[in-house]
Order: sequence, then C-alpha cells, then structure tokens
Amino acid sequence: MKQRITYLVPEADDFHPDLLSVRDASLSVRNLKAAKEHRITVGLSELPEKLRNVLGEWRELHIRWVSETPYDAPPPFTSRVSPGLHVFFTPEEKGLKAPLCPLLRQTFGHELKCNSTVTAFTKAPILSKRFSHSPSLQYHSHLPSITHLIRYIQDKLCPPSSSSCKNGASSLDSTSYTDIDYDTISHALTLNAFFPSAPDPSIGWTETISLPSTSSTIEIGILNHEPNPDPEDIAFAGFLTVLGKDTKPVPTRFQTITRHYPLSTQTTYKAHFQQPTGLHPTLQLTLTPPLTPPAQSCKLHTYLTLPSHLFLDPYSFRDPLFLASHNLTALHSLAGNTDLEAPDWVVSEWGSAALLELAIPPSTTSASSETGKEDDMTVTVPLHLRYLPAANRAHTSVPLPWPVVFWACRSEEGAAKMATNPFDRRVLGYEGLFGERTRFVHVPPAGGKVLVEWVDVPVLDLRKAGWVEMGTVGVVVAAFLVICWVLLFGGRRGGDQKKEVKSGKKKQ
Amino acid sequence: MAVASAFFRSSTSVFSAAVLLRVVLLVYGLVQDAYSPIKYTDIDYFVFTDAARFISQGQSPYARDTYRYTPLLAWLLYPTTWPGYWFSFGKVLFAIGDIAAGWMMFKILRNHSSMTKERALKFSSIWLLNPMVATISTRGSSEGLLGVIVIALLWAVLARRIALAGFLLGFAVHFKIYPFIYAASIVWWLGQGSTIQKPKSTKGPKSIMSKLANFVTKERIEFALYSIVAFLALNVVMYQAYGHAFLEHSYFYHLVRIDHRHNFSPYNTLLYLNSSPSNISSTSFELERLAFLPQLLLSVVMIPIALAKRDLPSTMLAQTFAFVAFNKVCTSQYFLWYMMFLPFYLPKSTLLQSGRIGGSALILWVLGQVAWLQQGYQLEFLGKSTFVPGLWASSILFFVINTGMLAIVIRDLKLGR
Repeated sequence: MKQRITYLVPEADDFHPDLLSVRDASLSVRNLKAAKEHRITVGLSELPEKLRNVLGEWRELHIRWVSETPYDAPPPFTSRVSPGLHVFFTPEEKGLKAPLCPLLRQTFGHELKCNSTVTAFTKAPILSKRFSHSPSLQYHSHLPSITHLIRYIQDKLCPPSSSSCKNGASSLDSTSYTDIDYDTISHALTLNAFFPSAPDPSIGWTETISLPSTSSTIEIGILNHEPNPDPEDIAFAGFLTVLGKDTKPVPTRFQTITRHYPLSTQTTYKAHFQQPTGLHPTLQLTLTPPLTPPAQSCKLHTYLTLPSHLFLDPYSFRDPLFLASHNLTALHSLAGNTDLEAPDWVVSEWGSAALLELAIPPSTTSASSETGKEDDMTVTVPLHLRYLPAANRAHTSVPLPWPVVFWACRSEEGAAKMATNPFDRRVLGYEGLFGERTRFVHVPPAGGKVLVEWVDVPVLDLRKAGWVEMGTVGVVVAAFLVICWVLLFGGRRGGDQKKEVKSGKKKQ
Repeated sequence: MAVASAFFRSSTSVFSAAVLLRVVLLVYGLVQDAYSPIKYTDIDYFVFTDAARFISQGQSPYARDTYRYTPLLAWLLYPTTWPGYWFSFGKVLFAIGDIAAGWMMFKILRNHSSMTKERALKFSSIWLLNPMVATISTRGSSEGLLGVIVIALLWAVLARRIALAGFLLGFAVHFKIYPFIYAASIVWWLGQGSTIQKPKSTKGPKSIMSKLANFVTKERIEFALYSIVAFLALNVVMYQAYGHAFLEHSYFYHLVRIDHRHNFSPYNTLLYLNSSPSNISSTSFELERLAFLPQLLLSVVMIPIALAKRDLPSTMLAQTFAFVAFNKVCTSQYFLWYMMFLPFYLPKSTLLQSGRIGGSALILWVLGQVAWLQQGYQLEFLGKSTFVPGLWASSILFFVINTGMLAIVIRDLKLGR
C-alpha cells in the first residue's frame, strides 16, 4: 500500500517549518491551514478476494464523487465535476455482464437507480479518438453523502484490528471530492480524497501520520503555489518527506504543465431554475463579468449532467435563432436517453450528459469597461421533465446538480505530457469530448448552500385519484350505452317527440 | 350579403381565396421561421424532412427518432432535401392536397348531394376557407395529406370506381391505420343499389346461406381484394426496403404505446394512473385494456350497419367522431379527421337547422376544449398538479359533450336528414 499526502498552503505566510516535525517513521503537523489531498494506492493482491474477482472483469473503472457543498479549488486541485456520483468504466471485451450495478449499490447505497449495468449506463461519445483512455460507459446519480461508502470500507476493507484505517475512512465524510480509479494495466486501486480545509478551518490540520507497516510507503508534501513563470505551467515550492526514509523535510521546488487552470479573473457563475418551472423548466446560468477569454483560442462551455427525469430536445438546439435567444452557440455533444415520449419509470438509463458552448456577448469580449460595471450574462438551457410516478402527494421534488462551466483552450502540449503532472485528474466526463491538445480554465461556482437545484414536478395525486378508474369506466360505459340507444331507437317515428322532424324528407 | 352571395357563386373566387389564404400563411411562416426562435413550422415537419434527408443519404427514414410513419411520406418529401426554398415543398404539397380535397368535396356535393353550385361552394368552404385546416397544412402537418386521400376514397366509392376506391383505402390504412374503419361502412354501403341485389318483394325468412350469398357481391369482393392487395403490396415493398424498423415504427408502436402525457382523451388520467409503477398495490381491473371495445364496436360495427346505407359520407363522419372521442389518445389534430366530412353532413343537420342546438353544440365543444386547455396550461406551464380533479374532469366533460354531438349526428342520420 502506498500513500501520498499533499497539504497545499494557500497563504505562504501561514506556513512555518516548525508547524511540522518528523520523528522516527511519523510526521506531525500542527495548526496547518491548508487544503489536503490524500491518495492511497492499493495493489490488487491486497484486496479481499471477492472484490478482486469483480475488478478483474473490467479494463478500467473511474468513480468520481463530488460533494454538493461549494468549495474552493486552489491549484493544482482546480478541476471541477458536477456534484453527485459519477462512474466511468470500460468492461473487458467479453465481460459486459460485469456486475457493476450490484457493487455500486452495495458500496454507495441501495437507492441508486442502477438495475442493470447494460441498461443503466450510457455510451459516452468519444469525439477525440486520440483520447484513447476515455472509458466507454458512463453513469451518474444524485448522492449527497458517501457515508455508505465509509461503512463499506470500514466493514469490508479495513483489517478488523486497524483503527487508523477506520478513522481514515470516516474522515472521507468531510471530503469535497473522492476519486476511485482502477485499471488493468496498473493492477492497483487508487483512492484519492480532497479536503479543501481542515474539519475546523480556524484551527487547521493537527495530526500525526505514521507508517502502518514496513511494507507500505507514505510520501508527504507541504506545498505552496508560486506565481506562474510560464503561462502553461504551474509552480510549487515546499517540503517533501518520505516516512521512514527522510529524517527531516526536504525542501523542493518544481513546475509542471497542467490540464486544469484556475481563472485569473473574478468571474463566477450561479445556476437556478426560472419560475414557474412547469413541465418545461429552464435552467438559468448567471455569469458575472468580465467574460474575457483567457486566451484567443478559448471557448466558454458548460457540461450538464441531467438525471433521467430531465432531458433536452437535441432537435431544437439545431436552430441558430433558438440557440442565440438562449445565449448559446452550439450543442456539441449529447449522450444518453433523450426519448421525448418516455415517462421516467420506463427509462432505465441514468440520464444524459450534454456539452454546450456558450455565446459570449460581444460587449464583454471587447472588454469595454467605460461604464465601469458590466451586466451579468445570462445563459438559459430549456429542459423538459418526464412524467414521474403517481404518488401520495401533488408534487415530487427532483434534483439537478449544477453544471460545470469552463473555458476550453488550445494547448501547446498534448495529453501525454499533461499526464506527467503528479496531480493530474483525468476522466471527468467532458475532456474526452475535446481534442487532446486542450486545456481547461475553470469558472468557479458562486454557491449558496448547495450546488444542487431542485424542481417540483407535478404528479398525479393518488389521494385524490380514487374515483378516476370507476369514474372513467362509468362515464365511458354510460356514453356507449347512450349511443347504442340512439342507434337502436333514436329518430324512430313517433318515438321522438320533437316537432322539427321533417317527415317529408324521410326516405323510409 | 350581395357580395358574399356573388363570391360563393363563382368557384374561381372561392378557390382563389383558398389558395391565397394558404399562400399568405406559407409566406408568413417563412418570415416567422427566419426571424423568430419560436417556429411557425410544426415539429413533425422537421421529423419528416430529417427522415427525407436520411433517405437522400441512402439511409433508413427510421434513423430519425420519432419518425413513426410510412417511408412513403419521407420519399414524397424528397425534394425538401434540395437547397433553398425546396425545404417548403412539403408544406406546398400538403396545401395543394387541402385544395384538392376541397375540390373533390365540391364535386361530391354537386353530383351526389345534388346541390346548387353556390350551396356546394358554401359548404366546401367549411374546409377550403377554414383557417384551422389551412394552418395545419401550411405548418407542415401531414394530416392534410390524409384528408385528400380519404376524400378521394369517398369520391371513388360514390362514383362506383371500385378498383380505385380499394386501392385508396389500402393506401390510406398503410398511411395512417385509422381509415380501416371506413372499410366497414363502404362494404355495407356497396350493397345499396347493387345490380345483383334481389328485388325487395322477396318475403319470408331467408336462410343464412342466401343472406350470405346476397352479401357477397361482385363489387364487395372487388373492393376487398383491391384494398387488401394494395395494403399488403405497400407493406411488402416497405418491409423489403426497410425491414423490421418499418413494422416497428409505423404499426407496432401505435399499438403498444402508452399515452400517459396529458391529452383530450377521457382515458388519459386512467392510463397515467395504471401505467405508473407506484400504483401496483391498488386493486385495478385494468379496464383500460378493454378501451378498444366500445370504440371499435361503435365505429366499425354498429354505426356502419345502422347508418351506412342511408348516407355514406355522414356515416363516415359519425364513425370518425366515435373513433376519435373514444380513442385512448386525442389531440386537436385528430379533430381534422372528422372535420373533413362536415360539408356533407351539415347541410341537412339539426346543428344548422336549429340555431339553438347548433349554437349550443358549437359553444359547448369549444368550452370543453377551453376548460381542458386552461387546466393543461396550469399543469404544463405553471407546474400545478391539476391531473385530478381538474384535467380529468375536463377531459370527461369534453367526452360527454362529444358523445352528445355524436348522438345528434346519429339521430339526424336515422331521421334521414
């Protein structure tokens, strides 16, 4: 088992070397105000046999869980994914029967809408064949917490005697995102957890990390982000310590190319549904200026993860006037179920994912700041709701995670070079939709409490529907009988008292 | 009045006005489509033209989602794949279909209802100058095309051009299934005045065999054969070309679809209720599965037998009215299906002869829709849960109003009006 722990200190002044001490095979930090990434790599042979056998069925598996609580994303942890559970995977050619759904439900919660791996997952459209590592299948679910995963790790994976393992697992509770990766080439399972700050940010991290056994290695870095020497690179300075090997922190300074960049301007975005939502809710994204592209080649995009109860009609997005009226440029990609007619309960797929390019108003691109204050830019995405099952209530509330918003820019370097970044985070759903020489500059969400919007869907209220069946059948039968009666006896001579009968016109 | 009278005395003026109305709407549609994100063109038209584009690329029209029609329609719209204004070719075709249907209505009224030219033109105008009809076809809905096929069928039957009538029926059913209901009334009607028919003086109970022999006439056999051969031939050709996807989308889909989305049908709420997975616990008899029974009994068996021999066009109106009112799905485009028979029925109807009954019927029919639309708007755009009781009650009310109107139509027919 290998571990790598990185503390990223945003304010260089907050860090003094005396906040950490190395003794024997352990390192202690005290009141360290920093973001933290904890990466654990476990060899396949170290896992329980059951899990090992299941993993063997897949070529690669990538799980991304993102908390719905907004968080700061300092470089190099800049990349963003919509809140919830995302799963991307490629089965071995023969193994499409891979029981991934049961495993997901076992680890993340039985309420996941994942009945069959074959039908619940959608095919991710890979526009760039060069992105050969993009997995073929995609899944998403609303999941506000990973307590179920924590319990699974504690019960099934931790050695019964190891309290450090169990404590480590429960710390996942405060992560902003947790990634789990497996692929056949590395033959290892990696868990990567990101904490934007210590559980109590005012106190900071106070903990001691010690080597659990001689066979494992732990590398600890305490880094500070330095100004960019090269526009495509990010640079860090700080200390590295390999437990059991280094007797004191070793100073370090390095720079690396990266795939994901922070935005240099103050631009943020907000998402909400326009009211009233009806059965055709419109998602509104509000971006604060300035909307100047970070570079000439950059295009502003949003990547939406739409649960099955919501969908967009791809055909309406072909009309330039329609797109322009919503401040959109194009629908570049749409994968998943977009059946316009199906109610939610017959859709077995998790939903659909859409990549939209946003139109930047010309006034903001020319950066005319004469008035001093530019208006917010509003982008709207018209969506449709599926019918939801009848229930003992008038409305059912359903979630939509905030989409991510980013500039996609041409990069001088290719994806292979980017992967040399030790903090590179891959398989986020949208990179495969771009060419390999693409870098992403992320617009951060300006969150309220949670980065999930809820929409109230009107449903058939079962409490009032008691009479529907008998009422409908009764009225139809009565109407049928009335028509039969008219067919048999209606208009009979004498059987009808109405005076206006013009008997002269009668044929019979 | 004098101007109106002069207008209806000239077929040139009526047909010119009908053409002008459609030209204006077509041009208006082009302008709105070019400048507004809200399109005049019907969504279905984009489905047809996309399917035509797939055909032009050597692919199946069913490569387009929600294309649920015969490939013939996409082939018919092949010119819409050509550049420029050719995109509107289909709308022009549908509009010409409208006018042709109106012209045949005029001919039928003149020749078979023995109307004066002015009166025939007035009643054809119910179709020709009807803004709803003109709008539907110029927006690119194929219902108008169906209108011309069905009216041509009626004209061919009345003119006793049996082979043509058989072919048209086969074609119409291939195109949109529901015209099969007309087979019953036409076959029943064909017994009328047939040369083989025995003199009426024959008395006493006839044996079943002789009744059967009387029923099986040359015309009826001919009509049945032509329609079945045309229907089968079209299907075989389409199946050869497009395989299972053709059967799947143009036939099976319409048979198995669950129309849970709100529409005018009285069954709508019940279908949503019983197809919803949360409702398995409740005791349902799934009576909606039997919904086809009253619908088909009325439109295919009882109405044709009781009325077809009296007045074929009005019987077809009653059949269509019953079919649409008792259907499991009902949208406003379906109203066009029976509207095309109104010029034949209205001249002698209570609805026109008694202003009170006619006026109330029209007002109730419109009010029924307004009530439903108001509930539908609350649901669709304001998100209010109006499924029960509002939407359900208004669809039931509309159904009751329709039943009343159907009763008037049938009574009129029985009275020989």
